[in-house]
Amino acid sequence: MEEEVKNPDCAEKLPKDAVIRLEEATKVYSLPFGDVVALDRVCIAVMPGEFIAIMGPSGSGKSTLLNLIGSLDVPTSGDLYIDGRDTRALSDDELTELRRDRIGFIFQQFNLIPLLTVLENVEYPMILKSRQAVKGNSRARDLLLKVGLTEQMLAHKPRELSGGQQQRVAIARALINDPAILLCDEPTGNLDQATGRLIMDMLSEVNRRGKTIIMVTHDADIAAYASRTITIVDGKVA
Amino acid sequence: MIFFEISKRNIRLNWLRSLLAVAGIVIGVIAISSMGILGSSLTLSVTDSLSTVGDSVIVIPVVGSPGQNMVTTEARITDRQLQQIIRVVAPNDAVPIYAGADRIEIGPDKTVAALYGIRPEQIPLMVDIADGIVPRSTSGALAGASLADEYDLKTGSRVRVGNETVRITGILEEQGMGFDINPDNALIVSDRWYSAAYDQDNYDQVIVKVRDINDIDAVKLAIERTLNRREDEVTIYDTRMILEMIIETFNQISLFTTAIGGISLLVAGVSIFNVQMMSVTERIKEIGIIRSIGTKRFEVMRMYLYEAFILGLLGSCIGGVLSFAGGYIVVSIMLQDASYLFYPETLFYIPYGMSIGLLVTLISGLYPAWKAANLNPIEALRFE
Repeated sequence: MEEEVKNPDCAEKLPKDAVIRLEEATKVYSLPFGDVVALDRVCIAVMPGEFIAIMGPSGSGKSTLLNLIGSLDVPTSGDLYIDGRDTRALSDDELTELRRDRIGFIFQQFNLIPLLTVLENVEYPMILKSRQAVKGNSRARDLLLKVGLTEQMLAHKPRELSGGQQQRVAIARALINDPAILLCDEPTGNLDQATGRLIMDMLSEVNRRGKTIIMVTHDADIAAYASRTITIVDGKVA
Repeated sequence: MIFFEISKRNIRLNWLRSLLAVAGIVIGVIAISSMGILGSSLTLSVTDSLSTVGDSVIVIPVVGSPGQNMVTTEARITDRQLQQIIRVVAPNDAVPIYAGADRIEIGPDKTVAALYGIRPEQIPLMVDIADGIVPRSTSGALAGASLADEYDLKTGSRVRVGNETVRITGILEEQGMGFDINPDNALIVSDRWYSAAYDQDNYDQVIVKVRDINDIDAVKLAIERTLNRREDEVTIYDTRMILEMIIETFNQISLFTTAIGGISLLVAGVSIFNVQMMSVTERIKEIGIIRSIGTKRFEVMRMYLYEAFILGLLGSCIGGVLSFAGGYIVVSIMLQDASYLFYPETLFYIPYGMSIGLLVTLISGLYPAWKAANLNPIEALRFE
């Protein structure tokens, strides 16, 4: 590994009150045929309440960036602060707690737990946090009704719902623990245009209520919902 | 208990696979428990057939003992030695015994029977009389239960022993096999009759009946110090030691048969391992999802261990119930007496088999659970 040479401008330029700060964050994957630099000295700050779209061609490092911000991974070098906490200094359990309490995930494939009902899927992160059963919890129910599901749908399994309905459940699940940050990976990628717009309206509403949203997308129309767009090319901010 | 709920639902979803894994555990538990039940029943049955209760010290002469110039095998305990034994074991009773065998005639029937010559007043110390009384005259005799049964002997019957005739004054209770005397197929006569009939003054053995079982070692030591001080004149056994050796041997047989049963449980463990590994492989994506939304490693591990626990508990409980039925059949067929099954030491093998079944399942589920917990959440999320 090369000696880390920090750009003094990066850390100083980034506002200290940012909810997310990447200071020269680099991610290198060691593969059998050699090291691959997925992210190269990225400097990004995200302020509370921002709605950011991350765009870029396939393989540019968008997903790697989202994984780092989602504390599913840590930078190989450089620093990443979420809510003021240096993720490189956190243990696996602490990173998991960060994901559970401060970050909500919305995936392209919805990624609901197939064995649980719609209501249980939304209750699940809450149970993880509170460490006790919250059967029939009214907050989960309210959230599901608010994102447009009906009472009858709550006892269904995810596979019994349409794609749009599943994504609404995923939004409710992401919001249940009242996180500061929502991470969306192509949230409309598996939906038709009309449903996609409905989901984006919903995310915009969530953002207006103060949640920070970071969304990876290929679609310029979807990126237009964001207040700022960051383009990544070859692992660098373009 | 959301993890328990997820585990339960996954088992239900893959019910056939789970059922087969449970069947493996059931068979394993039955094998271990049944073998244990059989071994324990066998030990109990053998112990039951032994009359000895472990309260006797047996003194027999050393063959070719000193003073006889090592030329004879007809070693016996002399009256002097007997008096020494009586003195050192007091207040316990020392019972001198003549033992031999002779041809006997009961009416037209002829056979060979064991003969014991015992002082009449000491006979109740050695045997229990079912019917009749201890012989008062020298020509009276007590008949062993099996001998009396086979030749239809009753109080008052006459039996010809060698050249003499004795009259049966009582029939003994069935005693079972003993380490001191075996009276079931024997006649017990008075010491004076035996001594006169066979012209024998010295005794074949002396049995010391110890009143307090804790005194056995002290009694043995006292005899040892008195008679074997200079040369080994007598050999001293205590029935407790022999009994313990026999029980130990049977316990080892029992352990061996149980270990054979354990092999089938090992196979069941491999099956659980396989089922759990399949469950991990099939649910990689799901593990990625739950990890990404905040499930800790140990919580994933718990979820998989719950699954193994449910399978193990189900298998062990069904196996436990069937072991009881299986044990009943095996014990009934092999020992012709199912009552041995209901002894606590036999019934113990049912929870024992169940616990081992559960333990094997949990151990088999440990690696798959660990593997699931340590999957990389990013790679797991990408898995299709």
